[in-house]
Amino acid sequence: MYREHDLSYDFLGIHLENPFILSAAPPTDELDIAIDGLKAGWAGVVLKTTSVEGNPVNLKYPMMSSFGTAAHKLWGLGNIDLISQYHINEICERVKTLKGMFPTKMVAASIMGSKKEDWQSPVWQLKKAGVDLIECSFSCPQGSMGEAPGRMLAQSIEATEKVARWVKEAAEDTPVLIKITPQVTDIVEIARALKRAGVDGVTASNSVPALIGVNVETLEPLPSLFGEGAYSGMTGMAIKPLTLRTIAEIARNVDITISGNGGAYSWSDAVELMAVGASNVQFCTLPMHHGFGTIRDLKSGLADYLDRKGYASPLDIVGKALGSIKGQEELVAPCSHSDIDVDKCIGCGNCFRACNDGAHRAILWDAEKRKPSVDSDKCPGCGQCMQVCPVNAIRMKEELDGKVHYFEFGGTRQD
Amino acid sequence: MEEFEKTLSRQQAAIEAERCLYCYDAPCQAKCPAHVPVPEFIQSIRSGNLHGARTLLQTAHPFIETCGRICPEEAFCQSVCTRSKIDAPLRIRELHRFVTDSTDPTDRMELPVATVGRVAIIGAGPAGLSCARELRIRGFSCDVFEARRVGGVPSQEVSTHRYPREVEEREVCFLTSVFAAHVHTEYVTDVKPLVADYDAVFVATGLPSESDMNIDGAQLVGVHHARELLRRMKSGVTSGAGNRVGIIGGGNVAIEVASMLREEDPTRDATVVYRRGIKELKAFKKEIEEATALGVTYQFLAIPDKIVGNHHVEGLQVTQAHLCEEDESGRCRFEPLPGSSFTIPLDTVVVAIGQRVDEDVFPGLAHGNLGLISVGENMETSMPGVYAGGDAVHGAQTVVEAVRDGKKAAEQIAALVAGGGK
Repeated sequence: MYREHDLSYDFLGIHLENPFILSAAPPTDELDIAIDGLKAGWAGVVLKTTSVEGNPVNLKYPMMSSFGTAAHKLWGLGNIDLISQYHINEICERVKTLKGMFPTKMVAASIMGSKKEDWQSPVWQLKKAGVDLIECSFSCPQGSMGEAPGRMLAQSIEATEKVARWVKEAAEDTPVLIKITPQVTDIVEIARALKRAGVDGVTASNSVPALIGVNVETLEPLPSLFGEGAYSGMTGMAIKPLTLRTIAEIARNVDITISGNGGAYSWSDAVELMAVGASNVQFCTLPMHHGFGTIRDLKSGLADYLDRKGYASPLDIVGKALGSIKGQEELVAPCSHSDIDVDKCIGCGNCFRACNDGAHRAILWDAEKRKPSVDSDKCPGCGQCMQVCPVNAIRMKEELDGKVHYFEFGGTRQD
Repeated sequence: MEEFEKTLSRQQAAIEAERCLYCYDAPCQAKCPAHVPVPEFIQSIRSGNLHGARTLLQTAHPFIETCGRICPEEAFCQSVCTRSKIDAPLRIRELHRFVTDSTDPTDRMELPVATVGRVAIIGAGPAGLSCARELRIRGFSCDVFEARRVGGVPSQEVSTHRYPREVEEREVCFLTSVFAAHVHTEYVTDVKPLVADYDAVFVATGLPSESDMNIDGAQLVGVHHARELLRRMKSGVTSGAGNRVGIIGGGNVAIEVASMLREEDPTRDATVVYRRGIKELKAFKKEIEEATALGVTYQFLAIPDKIVGNHHVEGLQVTQAHLCEEDESGRCRFEPLPGSSFTIPLDTVVVAIGQRVDEDVFPGLAHGNLGLISVGENMETSMPGVYAGGDAVHGAQTVVEAVRDGKKAAEQIAALVAGGGK
């Protein structure tokens, strides 16, 4: 009945019907679940990370934990999961099945190994099974295999480059993505190492090493397995800003394809990841929270956005915000002031208190009218008042060389 | 007895608390006669610090258990909640109740030795007991004189569906035991003998008497005063009302007695007969809703002419009214429609048209309009060292306003004694 905006494009030579991929995680660890995801409309799957036959995978349950508030329980999701308990032979069978059922979808597999042959033999098998793309987990926070247990492969520049070469050598013309961690001193050096190794791209980035919490009543860490816990990999909304920085930093410095992953919960989050350099966006926590049906709004929201902005393809968004991301020292220094819309103001006084106790004491408070006003002599326009205003009645008015610019809330989810 | 309103669950309270904007110089707190620090106690709910929340409430307000249940929030805190400019006001009273229902009274209290002075308090209702508590905190000892059940109107006249006995007892017991108010069961009618024995006297006797209906038939068998019936039912004695009861009035007492009559006998008709329309009812919204849920019915726009009957009530003859322009209070005036009278068949009439002070008691004190005790800015009566507050001064008002008076009187008395006494 309604015309659907064409969201399809090519990613590393693979047809994607839209930019939204199910990442290597629990939603792709069972064949029937992955089938349901693809049926729901996701453009592709990265099957949960597998390994060579006989590699022991000792999962511990419960593995999930989270933090948030009463109304928003799940700002951050943690897991102490490991790679799949299904080994490479089974995964190859699934690749064949999925490609047979969904010839126009991307069917990718994720692998992890230690020795050279453990990285290369799965690649050969997957190629034979007809896989579209191979992703390599260099960054599972729950302990990687190989020379330095507990340390992630992608935290070593040399190891990253060496192993990436092994995989690409075996993969030949099959695209290879390396999934990296944001937890490194310099993400750019890692990306450069991957570029030198000749892989096709990076998946930026994996879950963030974290301690999800401590139960203050029992002093047990989260998750608690008979009172003891371990560090988790954290995902979900809480990590989106970390992912944005990781992607932007790679894209600004290294010419390499990026698959975005980590913290996207909506089509607009996906647009943000793409605007700083991701060519597609992988999801895991969103479907684990609200189900595969979330693909409907991802697609329709993105289609509407492309229409509104006059973009023909999702690819037109990729990197669009990069040119305006600078080092702090490179920024201009406008004359900034808080600009309060008193008609929109509901008189809660949060701006006054925030400025009084945490900024420059530049907001005055009319106790009778319950309205704030700005002392322009004192206000440097730091923007804290704008952050605490519950109704977005405050913007920053910036002036430079006779021109005016406003920094304001007004994004899709911030009206 | 089962309560109408359930307390919020921990999750409901935590989610509701997240809606609070934590306004600077919060209007809710300013609007509360007891100045309950609303944003702060809600912040403590949000952080899971329920004992901290309780301590805040308990410090500000002696009658927290009571007000968490029966405070008319639409008249105070919630009427000015900034959040209503975004969507809807916070459910402040319910959050308050959540705290008191989830915690025990904080007994970590350090009270000074009671050597500062001695005060006599007449009336152990919300005003009197609040004054006693505040004075005890300031190092006074108090003797409280009460003729009826300790706790005042809530204890004596509010339905246990809205204000259960165990809540009342916990509150009143805590106030009298922890704050060492010595309560004497005694009907005091003159303050003069007390003035000599105490540093100050606080009169908080409420409104013991009820207004009469000056129409024909008011003396018939089957005509009752509303509060007398409430007290009887609350104390466990049957009301003696019949099966077709008309309640004349439109205030909280009328609605309360109609509700309790339905609770007592759900097969009985209880009809509130009121001169004006539904929008003019003076009772609080929640009480009207609860009464309606209990099956109370209404005969609006009916002006009572006379109570019909020989020896016993047989009906109420009323004239139909029509509403005119709004008066200065925003309520519509009414006028009778000539020739429109009709009779409502009833076997019982309950008069709930107002309450008053007994003017013949406290002869030494100046009385003003409607026999209310006259006080100055500082709550002092015409007799030095004698203060008054609560309903006896202001006419019928809420518990939290009585609490405000009790707190304020305590401040004034403390200042008087600090300044060398009367």
